Amino acid sequence: MTMNDSEICRDNSFTGRSGINAGLRIVLFFAAVLFLLAISMLLGPSGIGIPDLQSPSGSAILSLRFSRLLMGLMTGAALSASGVVFQALLRNPLAEPYVLGVSGGAGLGATLSILGGSGLFVSFGLPVVAFIAAVLTLMLVYLIASQGSSGHPSVYSLILSGVIVSSICSSVIMFLVSTASVEGMHNVIWWMLGSLQPVSSGQQLLSAALILGALAGIWLLSPRLNALALGREMAHYQGLHADLVLVVGLLFATLLAATAVSLSGMIGFVGLIVPHVMRAFFGPDNRKLVPLAALGGGTFLVVCDALARTLLAPIEIPVGVVTALAGGPFFLIILQRRMKQAWIA
Amino acid sequence: MEQAALTFREVSAGYKHRKVLDNVSFSVREGEFVSLIGPNGCGKSTLLKTAAALLKPLSGVVELFGRDVHRIKPALRASLLGVVPQKIESPMAFTVSQIVMNGRISSIGRWGTISSRDHDLVERSMIYTDVLGLRERYFTELSGGEQQRVALAMVLAQDPKIIMLDESISHLDINHRQEVLQILMNLNREKQMTILLVSHDLSLSASISDRFLLMDTGRLVKAGTPVEVLDPALLSTVYNCDLRVQQDPYTGYLQVSGAIDSLNRRKKLNRSVHVIAGGGSGIELYRRLLIEGYEVTTGVLNRLDSDAEAARALNIHVVLEQPFSPVGNDAIAEALQMIDKADAVILSQVPIGSGNLVNLELASEALKRGKTVLLANGIADRDYTEGKAALHLVTRLMTAGAIGWQSIQELMLQLQKHSHS
Repeated sequence: MTMNDSEICRDNSFTGRSGINAGLRIVLFFAAVLFLLAISMLLGPSGIGIPDLQSPSGSAILSLRFSRLLMGLMTGAALSASGVVFQALLRNPLAEPYVLGVSGGAGLGATLSILGGSGLFVSFGLPVVAFIAAVLTLMLVYLIASQGSSGHPSVYSLILSGVIVSSICSSVIMFLVSTASVEGMHNVIWWMLGSLQPVSSGQQLLSAALILGALAGIWLLSPRLNALALGREMAHYQGLHADLVLVVGLLFATLLAATAVSLSGMIGFVGLIVPHVMRAFFGPDNRKLVPLAALGGGTFLVVCDALARTLLAPIEIPVGVVTALAGGPFFLIILQRRMKQAWIA
Repeated sequence: MEQAALTFREVSAGYKHRKVLDNVSFSVREGEFVSLIGPNGCGKSTLLKTAAALLKPLSGVVELFGRDVHRIKPALRASLLGVVPQKIESPMAFTVSQIVMNGRISSIGRWGTISSRDHDLVERSMIYTDVLGLRERYFTELSGGEQQRVALAMVLAQDPKIIMLDESISHLDINHRQEVLQILMNLNREKQMTILLVSHDLSLSASISDRFLLMDTGRLVKAGTPVEVLDPALLSTVYNCDLRVQQDPYTGYLQVSGAIDSLNRRKKLNRSVHVIAGGGSGIELYRRLLIEGYEVTTGVLNRLDSDAEAARALNIHVVLEQPFSPVGNDAIAEALQMIDKADAVILSQVPIGSGNLVNLELASEALKRGKTVLLANGIADRDYTEGKAALHLVTRLMTAGAIGWQSIQELMLQLQKHSHS
């Protein structure tokens, strides 16, 4: 057997096709996404149905629902794609968008902004403060993790310093909350629970631009993320700037997470579980996984928000509660059946 | 003319606080099959990492086809040099063909386009390494041998001119090892691929390699043909044990083997040694004496002494005395019996006080009875008796023919010398 004749594999039939099954699965997934998004538009405190579009209140309700749908899509997509990247880069199934201290940092920034409420912070607005705090925290974590190693932090030191910085931030938040007025405490806790109340349209536009930009960046990076799954050394041997890919990937993922937090507060669970479930269905190839997980995460959050405002209407349940309470058992069942297709089992 | 594929010019390399490679120079010609050998920790893996530009040399230059490897763009480097690591681990459930496709990662376009040449190379590598049938399986589900073949396929997909393997085949069972070696030999013969194989199987390497590089503690000790490098005296110093090299009368291949039967012979020494120890000073002595094949007895020891514990664990006969009490006549009598049976009596580096001075007197008695007595040097520092009684006694013993010892190695040599007389 020699490798001189290329006749044998001219049609690329062995590696070129992705299988009918996989194609069908993707089509079904898109159909489900459209269906669920449509249902979510129809769900409201008053039950299922299209509001009377002739009346001003009806059209206002529909446009509010549409804004929340957009908020949900953006936040969910950002969190879920960010989770995919963190899990791929850190090669760790527990990695999630907040693993490098984004939540702690953003939470601290938001708490200061809500409780302090004066001077510098107010002029920027809470989301901007949360975003800046998140990025500053990532830089701090990266700096701490880089100490001792020769310039490039190891995955483990990144995770460890992320967890430590997060804990410190949480403690400071707890301290601030415990000394705050009842009203301040209430506001902070509500912000942390997360909500898809539409933010200003300017901020929505900016966030959408950031998220789309970062998603595109990650998607371009995605074949390299696959190579990094075999570790940094192997990726280097295969001709990648492995450290560069790692740093750029972490930056994009944190940008996504920080934008999501500044939009909607700290919504847990989406960034950890949706990537796992999507991986279980569509495999770990990041070229497919990044867009699919973004769409899946966005849809999941939109559905959760529709449930949050309907289930106990007129009371609205925090959406972060719904993601875990409703999504948890559902995803656990899926993962139990299909974990092998996602992660080593 | 054959070109140099890989050249090390006076390369020193290592990590932040530890230099591993020390001034290494060699050259591998294009199309050569070279085995890199040496004991564990001698720097073979570091050498591969340095060659692949994963580590930057502290000094010196590594050249790949005449160009400084650190100045070659990563994508080009990957098309010149492939590395098969000891083991690759994929935490996620990638299929075999997805894993092999990673070999083409550096040529995948900015927009993620995979050319038909990429597909061709991947499929050919999979055919060549016989993993095409596994292409839809999950990499993590495969056996070690299959995983190694997939790893090789992935590296072959890079279409490199040199392949370096870091003990990639050492832990394969014999048929998979043969299979992977066969693939490597074919690549070498048919495609003139240059191969640098880190190996622990010296005999196997000898049968397939053009040349050997022998490393020891970060230095290149010898480079040459298998016959030149597989010199028993040289190997025995580098690997720090007795090795033999024989030529197979039928095939002419060199066979390297450990001198196992000399070990066996040592086990049947039939020599007995009595050790006077205490306070943990005997543990290493017991271990070494047992390994060398001596019968060992020890005592008198306090029942709570750590040496007594060790002796019990090693199944050594111990003469014991109750804790916190002077050594009684029964124990002394039993110890003398042991000494009578022994060929030699060894005094460890045990501190001597009034409580165990009697042990030193036992040694004195042994010398009187014509036994070889070996006393650890430096008694002056360990003498806690009143009026330096121990020091005086030892000095007397030394003049009467006892032998001093400093290190355990020295002790073993003395024992050999005197137990044969």
